[in-house]
Amino acid sequence: MIRTLTGLIIVLALGAVAASVIPEMQMRSELQGVGYSYASRGMDETGSSNLVTAVIVAYRGLDTLGEVVVLFCASTAVVLILTLFPIGVRASEPSRIVAFTAKVLPAPIMLFGVYFIAHSHLSPGGGFPGGTVIASAFLLVMLGSSSVPDRNGRLPAIESLAGLTFGLLGFWGVLTAGQFLNNTFLGTGTPGTIVSGGLIPLISIAIGAKVASEFSGVFKAFRNTRGEA
Amino acid sequence: MTVIALTLGGMMVAAGIAVLFVKDLLSAIIITGFVSLSASVMFLLMDAPDVAITEASIGAVLATMIFLWGRGKIGGDG
Repeated sequence: MIRTLTGLIIVLALGAVAASVIPEMQMRSELQGVGYSYASRGMDETGSSNLVTAVIVAYRGLDTLGEVVVLFCASTAVVLILTLFPIGVRASEPSRIVAFTAKVLPAPIMLFGVYFIAHSHLSPGGGFPGGTVIASAFLLVMLGSSSVPDRNGRLPAIESLAGLTFGLLGFWGVLTAGQFLNNTFLGTGTPGTIVSGGLIPLISIAIGAKVASEFSGVFKAFRNTRGEA
Repeated sequence: MTVIALTLGGMMVAAGIAVLFVKDLLSAIIITGFVSLSASVMFLLMDAPDVAITEASIGAVLATMIFLWGRGKIGGDG
């Protein structure tokens, strides 16, 4: 009763907030302020034809670094909890369909993820989505095998190395251009070619490797705590 | 375009309400995944392919899988 009442009150309060905000929102036909500045100068300044990636990695690169740190803390906490309190569920043999799919599909999915990461400055995609796509390929591999080898070391190593790369690329900008995460000191290239966008492709690769190894680590921890209870 | 968006939105709202009333945990998880997948198509309709990719891979695949494993851990049959 109390739970239902509390839930109802929360929902009504959220509804009231939304109802008071929505009339203030107006769809403008033209961009203004920061958005206009990004959209009009972004391609010249960063050399990236994908403006979304340009904003995420170049203009707001510091926010992305913070996001990466948050993801690192979250995945570390999940793996720690699952390692400390293994609540086992008996692993079941994969069915023939799953086993066959897990043999065929992971390679194309992984290639797709690598494409997202490598072309983050050219087409929709980016380090984060690409990393999650690669992680889902590893997930499929894990689903298709009845046991996951319990070797530790490589995933955390890749994760740390990728995070370190992001930070060092940022500091490289401090040394050469006097600005943390400066995007242009390597030159920006011609927008639309694979070698363009300054630091954006390099940082995308770092983010992609980090996200992929983090999510894979979380899945591995979930998978490996089975069977003990 | 508007028709597709409205149909999709209606289905999402219906699915979101259905999650609350479904007794079976497995069905609830699958319906949640469906809401995520519809949201991904919605983002695509709104010209945001970047967000659509992320929503499809995280919301529809990874989160659903985490839920499924979590369900296995709290005493379902995996």
